[in-house]
Amino acid sequence: MKRVSTLHCFGLATALCVFLSAGGSAPIAAQATRTSSNAPGATVPRLPGGRPDFQGLWLKSAGGFQGLFIGSLDGTNLAAGGARGGGTRGGPAPSRYEYTPEAEAEKMDRMRRGYEDPEARCHLPGVPRALDQPGGLYPIQIIQDEKYVALLHEAMHDVRIIPTDNSRHPRNYWAWDGDSRGHWEGDTFVVDVSNFNGRTWLDMAGNFVDENEQVVERFTLTDADTILYEATITDPTVFVKPVEMRFTLKRVPAEQQILEYSCLEGERSLQHYTEEDGGKKLRTK
Amino acid sequence: MNIRSLRLAFCSIAVAGIVTALALTGDAQTQRPFTPARLSDGKTPDFRGIWQVRDTAYINIEGHPAEKGIAAARSIIIDTPDGKIPYKPQSLAQRQENYKNRATADPSIKCYQAGVPRATYLPTPLQILQSPGNFAIVYQDNHAFRVFHPDTRPHFDSADWWMGDTRYRWEGDTLVADVVALTDQLWLDQAGNFHSTDIHIVERYRMTGADTMDYEARIEDPVVYSKPWTLRTVLYRIKEPSARIIEDECLEDANGVRHHISPDDPKNLLKSDYSRWKKPTQK
Repeated sequence: MKRVSTLHCFGLATALCVFLSAGGSAPIAAQATRTSSNAPGATVPRLPGGRPDFQGLWLKSAGGFQGLFIGSLDGTNLAAGGARGGGTRGGPAPSRYEYTPEAEAEKMDRMRRGYEDPEARCHLPGVPRALDQPGGLYPIQIIQDEKYVALLHEAMHDVRIIPTDNSRHPRNYWAWDGDSRGHWEGDTFVVDVSNFNGRTWLDMAGNFVDENEQVVERFTLTDADTILYEATITDPTVFVKPVEMRFTLKRVPAEQQILEYSCLEGERSLQHYTEEDGGKKLRTK
Repeated sequence: MNIRSLRLAFCSIAVAGIVTALALTGDAQTQRPFTPARLSDGKTPDFRGIWQVRDTAYINIEGHPAEKGIAAARSIIIDTPDGKIPYKPQSLAQRQENYKNRATADPSIKCYQAGVPRATYLPTPLQILQSPGNFAIVYQDNHAFRVFHPDTRPHFDSADWWMGDTRYRWEGDTLVADVVALTDQLWLDQAGNFHSTDIHIVERYRMTGADTMDYEARIEDPVVYSKPWTLRTVLYRIKEPSARIIEDECLEDANGVRHHISPDDPKNLLKSDYSRWKKPTQK
């Protein structure tokens, strides 16, 4: 019988965090001008300066790499499509990440110690995990002007204010979310992310990056209500080749609003960990 | 009427005159309000920028004596005669208890979000994000943020939040925000001043110059205070061109205690070492 080693139980917190309709039907004032067409190549909303206008509330619809992971020691995701779904029968799920041999061993080790996932301890998810949250759960509010694009994430109340002023990454700065600098390639907003602190996991299943991670993100409005998100993750000490990720964000109706995800503040996951898994023991030592 | 009472009367008139003159000066200042720049719509006042207070109200909004490295400060409460919070008696006892235990009981020590209005007068900056129809404040402390929603829709107050639920409107060039739904686990400062979930705050943000902004918060909470009271402070623009909100995250030590760690502290960088996974080479 397999022992379920990891059960990330955000359930209690999640019940409060799932965004909800705020009630009432009056429209939010002065939403950006929008077109209703969904045709390919449709006109997209634009700011007065002509740049595409990404503002609004967005939600990952599907895709991405991360779903809910309830893992067993052989890597089977018990949460994906039934007890043995998500992987080949009787074996580990095929990885989207091609690790170096040492990093592969590290990944397997982390999978067995899923309780060490920094996000389970309410740390910032890093990039691209901030966007690659389990589908349909946590919206992202985008506010934008001529100098920056700001991503306000419901999950972990994570914030990235991405400057578009051609400035460079700082020296001597190491962060969970790294340092983001944006520029425009036509109508695509391209973000170069660097200066990670080496603590980030990519999901609940032990996939990880280290301090050499670099990410290039591309945000493209494919119509007024859809953002195509693409990320290329490179990390020469972890992956043998770059990892490509792609999914869409859909616009959330204007009558809904982002809510507060207070994770650490009222966090209740730790009570589900046994002492040997680092739950109570860390609290009382 | 003798000489003495005449002199008294004269003095009273003189004092009254000076007071009136001072009051008029004050009025004259408020009668010429600063007109802030506008957003791209040509209408909305432009509050964008990185701002920070210069006072030390985060220690005790009722004022505090000097400490090592920190000058004494007066109360920032403007509408009670003694500058104190008008606590009900049993609430005052709770505050004294909080004060005694402040070294461990302050929720900010656990790296919790600071709440409203405390986040405004922390010794760390905040950034106002704004575009026509959008207004949000990002606080550096614990990467907390508040999205301000127009008050054309009712509060979402069926839960208690750490940063509350905010609805706003413009009164001329003043942003007036209505805040409810704050949890009672918050403190207002490091001295244990507190409120209940019945707290209702009306904030007023008003630019008084290109680089200064008045912040006022009228606070009522019939459970804890005997009457509403108001605090006022000033936010100053941080003008250094490279200034940014930096990441503020806490790390947990071996004792389970969280500490703020700066992203420029090399201790924040974890260099991976996979050597333990290298198979021993056969000789």
